[in-house]
Amino acid sequence: MSTAVASVLKYRPRRSAADATAWLGMVVFLASWTMLFAALFAVYAVLRVRAPAWPPPDLPRLPLLLPGANTLAIVASGIALQSALHFSRTGRVARVLPAAVAALVLGAIFLAGQSALWVGLWREGLRPEGGPFPSVFYGLTAFHALHVLVGLFGLAFVVLRASRASYGPTRHLGLRLWCGYWHFVGVIWLLLYVTIFVL
Amino acid sequence: MPTMDYEELQPIHPEPTSFWRKYVFSLDHKMIARQFLWAGLLFLLVGGTLAMMIRWQWAFPGRPVPVIGPLFLSDQGGTIGPATYMTVFTMHGLIMIFFAITPILIGAFGNYCIPLMIGARDMAFPTLNMLSFWTFAVSLVLVICSFFGQLGAAGAGWTTYPPLSTNIGTPGSGQTFMVAAIFVTGVSTIMGGINYVTTVIRHRAPGMTYMRMPLTVWGLWLTAVLNVLFVPVLGSAALLLFLDRVFGTQFFIAGAAAVRGGGDPILFQHLFWIFGHPEVYILILPAWGIVSDILSFFSRKPANWYRGSVYAMCAVTILSAVVYGHHMFMTGMNPLLGQGFMLLTLIISIPAEILFLNWLRTIWQGSIRTDPPMLFALGMVFVFGMGGLTGLYLGATATDIYLHDTMFVVGHFHLTMAAASFMGSLAAIYFWFPKMFGRRMNESLSKVHFWWTVVFMTLLFTGQLIAGYAGQNRRLADPYEYNFIRHLLPLNRYTSYSAFILMAGQFVFVWNFIHSMFAGARAEMNPWQVGTLEWTIPSPPPHHNYDVIPTVLRGPHEFADPLVRERLGRDWIGQAEPLLEQTPGTSAPTAAAGRA
Amino acid sequence: MRLLRSLLAAPLEGHGWGMPHDASLDGWRIDDLINETSVFVILLFAIMVAWMLWAVFRHGRRHTARFDHGASRRSIAVAVGIALAIFFVVDGHLFVNSILVWRNVFGNFAMAEAQPDAVRIEINAHQWAWAARYAGADGKFGTQDDIVTLNDVTVPQGVPVIFQVASIDVLHSFNIPNMRVKMDAVPGMINRVWFTPKETGQFDIGCAQHCGANHYKMRGVLTVLPLEEWKKWAAVASANSAVAYDPEDKDAQWAWSWEQHSRI
Repeated sequence: MSTAVASVLKYRPRRSAADATAWLGMVVFLASWTMLFAALFAVYAVLRVRAPAWPPPDLPRLPLLLPGANTLAIVASGIALQSALHFSRTGRVARVLPAAVAALVLGAIFLAGQSALWVGLWREGLRPEGGPFPSVFYGLTAFHALHVLVGLFGLAFVVLRASRASYGPTRHLGLRLWCGYWHFVGVIWLLLYVTIFVL
Repeated sequence: MPTMDYEELQPIHPEPTSFWRKYVFSLDHKMIARQFLWAGLLFLLVGGTLAMMIRWQWAFPGRPVPVIGPLFLSDQGGTIGPATYMTVFTMHGLIMIFFAITPILIGAFGNYCIPLMIGARDMAFPTLNMLSFWTFAVSLVLVICSFFGQLGAAGAGWTTYPPLSTNIGTPGSGQTFMVAAIFVTGVSTIMGGINYVTTVIRHRAPGMTYMRMPLTVWGLWLTAVLNVLFVPVLGSAALLLFLDRVFGTQFFIAGAAAVRGGGDPILFQHLFWIFGHPEVYILILPAWGIVSDILSFFSRKPANWYRGSVYAMCAVTILSAVVYGHHMFMTGMNPLLGQGFMLLTLIISIPAEILFLNWLRTIWQGSIRTDPPMLFALGMVFVFGMGGLTGLYLGATATDIYLHDTMFVVGHFHLTMAAASFMGSLAAIYFWFPKMFGRRMNESLSKVHFWWTVVFMTLLFTGQLIAGYAGQNRRLADPYEYNFIRHLLPLNRYTSYSAFILMAGQFVFVWNFIHSMFAGARAEMNPWQVGTLEWTIPSPPPHHNYDVIPTVLRGPHEFADPLVRERLGRDWIGQAEPLLEQTPGTSAPTAAAGRA
Repeated sequence: MRLLRSLLAAPLEGHGWGMPHDASLDGWRIDDLINETSVFVILLFAIMVAWMLWAVFRHGRRHTARFDHGASRRSIAVAVGIALAIFFVVDGHLFVNSILVWRNVFGNFAMAEAQPDAVRIEINAHQWAWAARYAGADGKFGTQDDIVTLNDVTVPQGVPVIFQVASIDVLHSFNIPNMRVKMDAVPGMINRVWFTPKETGQFDIGCAQHCGANHYKMRGVLTVLPLEEWKKWAAVASANSAVAYDPEDKDAQWAWSWEQHSRI
């Protein structure tokens, strides 16, 4: 086990110049999207600080368990996808496909869980028109979920390529880029979970 | 970073043959640049027409508008009613900023100039580039849809402040379409920004250090950095406003505050201006860069203190995000906060002054050629000087009390944004036209266009400044309802005449442009005799730009060097041109190592 | 001819294209600051234009260009020196005076509130009119003797008039150009502004923030009466209001606690 961890930490990939360019593009893209979500979080912070009570006493409470389970799903999905990348880099091509499939399935479970969350709260009477609290909840989680959906399309593409054994030690740019995007989406969810549900 | 094999990084792709691949879904940055140019010029015409309607209303309040009246306003007897007036000035602002200047200066010239000037074959991500244009096209469709909204087009001002811009203030699909259009064009801009930022970092030719890049590229690159970082903030504001309008959320609507807390309209203003102030620098930085280069090229003299200009543009870029509060001085903010924003706003004038002084010193003791690009560059310096100075009053809290939301603000931003960016765009068009189309524009018509434009622009926007100084407020469908404005009708009328004449003069340009594109004199490779890389390849360039990626030896403004004059018999030397140490014919020549 | 006359009258206050007549006690501070800055601005602009014209005409095609990158120590020092000089003189003048004027006068609500005769008015802006409320004889807002007017604000000459400004629908901006007053009316916020009228007469109240189709018609009238006459008006109006008070009319009973929002 420790040798596996050590190999992950010690790994320094040989990258081609074209890959480095693509990765820089991804970094710039993520910087941009970080600003977008930062602005949304700032809006949330301002509205919450200004409100006399948060959550408002007359509105349904947000559950902790279901979104917590969703958090586990998306974190596991991120680990699975990163594993797929690692397997690709270190030449264990046969393991790439199952890891990618696991990532896709766990991501889909996350979305399903989110849908259940929304439907449940909607039935309890939490509606967007109910003020800043539900506005923030629905607005931010829905926008995030949209990005998860895009990520799932990307993962489907990755699974397709993996099924054709397209990924190898020097050919895994697409996998690496989607991995970066997927981790971003995962981190945003962690922040959302902590700030909206826990705090 | 691994050592780069430049040829391997940018392989030469075969040129596409099908009509769709060549003209519609082209991956060639030069074609995409032209697509942005046509779209931008078309919407410039639309935005300009809307401006003429505003000026008509102020010159002849209540009188039916010629041409446009019978065509579009027949249900109002051809006049511009108050509700229509709202949509006219709103759409004028939004279209000019997002759908005219942005595609022309950033979409067209960013795409065209960056790869060529850094010695690259194309952008880093050609497919993303193509998608960025078509995403922009989708936003144009949304803009057009807005005009057909049953309750009219968007009408809450280009600033779209809630609650007016929510369903409470402006119901109807017209406003919603525009909010969506802004979001979509924002996505397009970010896509372009990612491309520009990455391309400049990764695809510069060997020897093209950052400090040897043309200032045009610096301007465009810093613009792209601002776009990447701050358009998303606008995106967030547009998104939340869209949610408020369509899904009934309450981000910006101050609702039942007692129990649940309210949304906050001022929150929108913060988000909007954190984007909005960098946006005005986004719209001017390319023009600053282009003008910095052109002033040097046509003074036949190196750009004065190149590094200073770079530092100044970087400083403005960094500071741009922290001065935004000066748009909100009158919202009732804490005076201490106001003072902070005032201080930062005044500080940003220092790098602007450095840039300006560099321009003035570049042309001093030069050998000035008054070709059209140079005339427009000088014109830009002139209008930007005027506009920049008027910004002083608006950046100080006390003087802003009187001048806020008057025509003085309008005059200020028209001089700095419309006039200066427009002059910069025209300088760029006249300068790169030979390279883009392989033909020369008619010089006499170009000069007529210049004088016509600069004179009437100055009159028009000075008229706005004066009206504002006299107290006329913005966005008034009929300003003469107020006693303190009534006597300004003659002033507004003269200003409007300037506007109509200005507009008429642009048809000289349109004729010159179209005619020259098809029947102008053929342009040689380097008609302006300057040293940047794009002038070393044919006009227009081949699909892959450079047969061989050039190796850069020096900066872009190497003029008037006595050594060059002695060895090569001319006052300029190309960026990648070797300057032999020995006179040819004696001992074995070696290329000079190149100066910074 | 009319153009010439307008141009000649241009800078005169209230005539031609000058600023509207200033009828307030402190408005001159803003006017002076604007005009002093204008001196610098016009001077700098003139130098810039002269420089450009000289360069174009005297350093034209026949002039030999100097091979100078402008990057010598001296060159840089001169450029930075000029930029900083302009900054400290022009910007500095504007900055320091702005802070002083705001701190000592326009933002000095403590001074205004401390005056015994100060008049307090609550302004409720809505689409598209200005509702104004006076505390009436009992000095308290929200009572039966409050004077409530629409588009009609009457104030006394020579004493501070303090406004608390709010809005119930969209953004508006309370603007009295002849008194150099401007403050946004924001739903969910209560903003403050004050001034001292110096002259009697009638002046425009306008809206300075786009608020919908009839933004251009959102006009009110400010009437300034001599102090004694105003006191008589206020007494009569307050008495009439107390009589005409209708407890059923909930819409007319907007008011808020003055003290809560006059944080000093």
